[in-house]
Amino acid sequence: MASGSASPSAPAQAAPAADVSSASSSPKLPPPETQSDVRRRSHIVWSFWLVIVLLGLPIWWKTTTIYRANLPLEGMLEWAEGKACRPVFPLQISIQADSLQENEAQNLVRLTQHALDDHNDFSGHHLRLQLAPKRDSSSDAVLDDNVALTIQLTPGETNAASLNPHSAVLDIVYPPNAIPGPSSSSSALATYIAKELQSTFSEEQSTISYLLSTSSAPDARPQNLSPEAAEILSKRTTRSLRYAPTYHLTFSLFTAGAIPNSWDIETAIDEYMKPMLHMLGPIHNFTIDTQVQLYATPGTQSQVLSKADLASFINAAEWPLSPSIGGAPTVNFVIYIGDQNIGLTSESKTSESETSQSWMIPQWGTIYLLSLPDTTTHISSEKLRQAMLTFNGHLLSLLATALPSISIPRSVADGVASTMDHLQQACGSLGGPEGLYHARIAEEEAERAFFEKSMVGQLYFPDEHKIAVYLPLLGPVGVPLIMGLINELKNWIKRRRQRAKEAGEKKSQ
Amino acid sequence: MTLRGKASVYVGAALLRLILFLAFPGLPDLLTGRVEISTPVTSFKRLQEGLFLYTNNVSPYDGGVYHQAPLLLPLFSLLPSVKAWPIFTHLLYILVDVLSADALYKIAHSGEAGSSKLFTSPRRAKKWSGVAIAAAFLFNPYTIATCIGRSTGVFTTCAILHAISKAIYGSPFKAMVALSFASYLSMYPILLLPPVVLLAYDRQLEKRRVASGLQFAGTNVLVVVGCVAVLLGMSFVITGNSWEFLARTYGIQFTLSDLTPNVGLWWYFFIEMFDSFRAFFLGVFWLHLAAYPAALCFRLRPQPLAVLTIILGTFSIFKPYPSLADASLFLSMIPLFRHIFPLMRYSFVTTSTLLYATFLGPAFYHLWIYAGSGNANFFYAITLVWSLGQSLLVSDLTFALLRDEWEIERPDMIGKEIRQI
Repeated sequence: MASGSASPSAPAQAAPAADVSSASSSPKLPPPETQSDVRRRSHIVWSFWLVIVLLGLPIWWKTTTIYRANLPLEGMLEWAEGKACRPVFPLQISIQADSLQENEAQNLVRLTQHALDDHNDFSGHHLRLQLAPKRDSSSDAVLDDNVALTIQLTPGETNAASLNPHSAVLDIVYPPNAIPGPSSSSSALATYIAKELQSTFSEEQSTISYLLSTSSAPDARPQNLSPEAAEILSKRTTRSLRYAPTYHLTFSLFTAGAIPNSWDIETAIDEYMKPMLHMLGPIHNFTIDTQVQLYATPGTQSQVLSKADLASFINAAEWPLSPSIGGAPTVNFVIYIGDQNIGLTSESKTSESETSQSWMIPQWGTIYLLSLPDTTTHISSEKLRQAMLTFNGHLLSLLATALPSISIPRSVADGVASTMDHLQQACGSLGGPEGLYHARIAEEEAERAFFEKSMVGQLYFPDEHKIAVYLPLLGPVGVPLIMGLINELKNWIKRRRQRAKEAGEKKSQ
Repeated sequence: MTLRGKASVYVGAALLRLILFLAFPGLPDLLTGRVEISTPVTSFKRLQEGLFLYTNNVSPYDGGVYHQAPLLLPLFSLLPSVKAWPIFTHLLYILVDVLSADALYKIAHSGEAGSSKLFTSPRRAKKWSGVAIAAAFLFNPYTIATCIGRSTGVFTTCAILHAISKAIYGSPFKAMVALSFASYLSMYPILLLPPVVLLAYDRQLEKRRVASGLQFAGTNVLVVVGCVAVLLGMSFVITGNSWEFLARTYGIQFTLSDLTPNVGLWWYFFIEMFDSFRAFFLGVFWLHLAAYPAALCFRLRPQPLAVLTIILGTFSIFKPYPSLADASLFLSMIPLFRHIFPLMRYSFVTTSTLLYATFLGPAFYHLWIYAGSGNANFFYAITLVWSLGQSLLVSDLTFALLRDEWEIERPDMIGKEIRQI
């Protein structure tokens, strides 16, 4: 480097009394160096080396040694191998059987639990039954927060089950003779309930087992995941965004013409999106911005959009959809006002997540086509309702909220104590919001620890690469300094010998 | 030269600056914004920011923009506001330039460059007058640009030149005080202490002579330490009893945390530097700068003024935030050594390299920042050329000085080509 090019000038020029040959062709021996010149040169050499030794070496030592803290390696390895935490998602199922005797109901619960456990070969997903206290006729049962599902048993004609669409209640009707006695050891009703429960939770179970299959916990591996189910689940995870503690939601209104130019987006978000964002609160933070863009031309001009058109609909060159604002990944929700519509081929009809007006772009966001009368200048929040609800659904599948913490310890080479601590707590309360909260903190801490500045530097720098860092600058600077030192030492040894010889001669005389 | 000649040069230079200030009202702000003139530690714009915070009773360093010495603030707050009455600020800068030129005039007038106490050059008869050298400083476009750009580097320049001139005229105490001011303002001039002490030691007045070199050096170092301590103490009081200013002024120079481009070599290097090696290479760069004074003092012991000139040259190349102010100071010292000009070998190359960099530098900066058709490498390449030109000048000057010395020892070699082996 340039500093190297000039630095030798001082020591190099510092030996002017050295041998000099005249320009004439006959080389003439220069006069011997004077004592003072020799002394002066050694002063110069030593002045440079004093700076290097007294200041340079301590600085080098201080600035390049990497401080290594002691890490709880054993604990980290345990987490990494999945031994520290057995992921178990116990789900409380409450059985409401007001029409049964206490002991009869107890036995039914016990039998059903047996039936469930017999069929369940996957330890990660565990349904735990309990008998709900009898309900007073006067007050409605307050649903316990921990209870995932309530089964309401009512006497009737035949076996029938139906899932309540509005609340987490499974209504089961049973014929009167199906009740097992307090001492009987098997019951058709118990088997029936167990089967119903399993089919209700089958999707959830396969999701969890899919997620666990990518983690390293050996004993939690699923056994019975069909390839088709795995494919669906993998599709779901590939289109979702990578987990981040904060997402930025951008709501954009693009219109083909000059109107409409205003929208009640704030009310619409408050009304339709906020409840769900609030629900996601323990896992993610959301920041929101909105924009309106007039005279926006989409990337494809065709009136009816085919499936191929959908991919190029976004006009990436002109629409101000920045990839990311700040550090958080951005999820885009675009409402396009125009007269285009989507040509529904048989293919896209089967796709569950796409309506005729909207489609989702994996890991990016959603576009919603809204056609309005030409004269509309303002879009009320009521008109945005359908779009917002679509966005809600798409946001959920984009986020794919599930177990962000599990894959972290596997790959992480470093962990801080708080990561471990929070993981411990998260493991203790899996399934609840608390677990998600701790998992989130653990994830953040682990990321921070992993991308710790000095460690990343170390990661990228095998020792042999250091030569490439040191040599270009220090090489040119160092060569004259080292040569000067060697010459100096050589002369010193020569002088000593000379002196010893002279002394010896003197003695012999 | 006559006294009238000197006065007319000063008045002419002052008028030229005044005309530039008044006839082109946009020029000062334009030049203030140039990275070649204003560095983070000398920028007038940043000074105004600090001044605004200071006059509103906020710590001037809170904005994270101001990195200059705190004592500049009361000085500038005494002046009427630069917005309403720019003329007073302009007059201050003109005055500082003239004062620097006067110190330079005295240095030239003493003839120290040609014949010091321990060395008398056989060529010393060939020299320029003090007025000519002062004029070369005052009418140097770099100096004018620095003055119009109102870089606070001019205060450091002035203090350094006064330290040298006082040392030559046998007042070591004043020299040390001036050097303390320079060091307080910009930190790096503290490295000039050894040669200035040597110069003052050589030029002591007979009646107050201190024979022991060690005693003399010790006294002067104590004076500098005392002076700097007082200045730092005053700054401490001014900035609301906090030592924060140390980290914000000198700390910035040590750690180069402000990577605004300038004509030096550091900024690009530390943009590219791997973070884990940053601290180490900061140490290397600073040690590189600090390693020269001792060795040069040994080698050129008979000519302390030459040592000062060479060190000023290396500063202008290798200090963390160099600007045209440093180059103009170095270039204004060169004419003092008129007598060895015939011994310099690369005058033409040096001159054309410096001119080349001067003209292409702003063009490349424009291409990078405004036109967007170039990148940082364009500007950095030009600063490399600029530094190359200056280091050629430094090494050529050193060569000429040494050859001048050597020809006394070997009179038979005068005028012959030599080669170092």
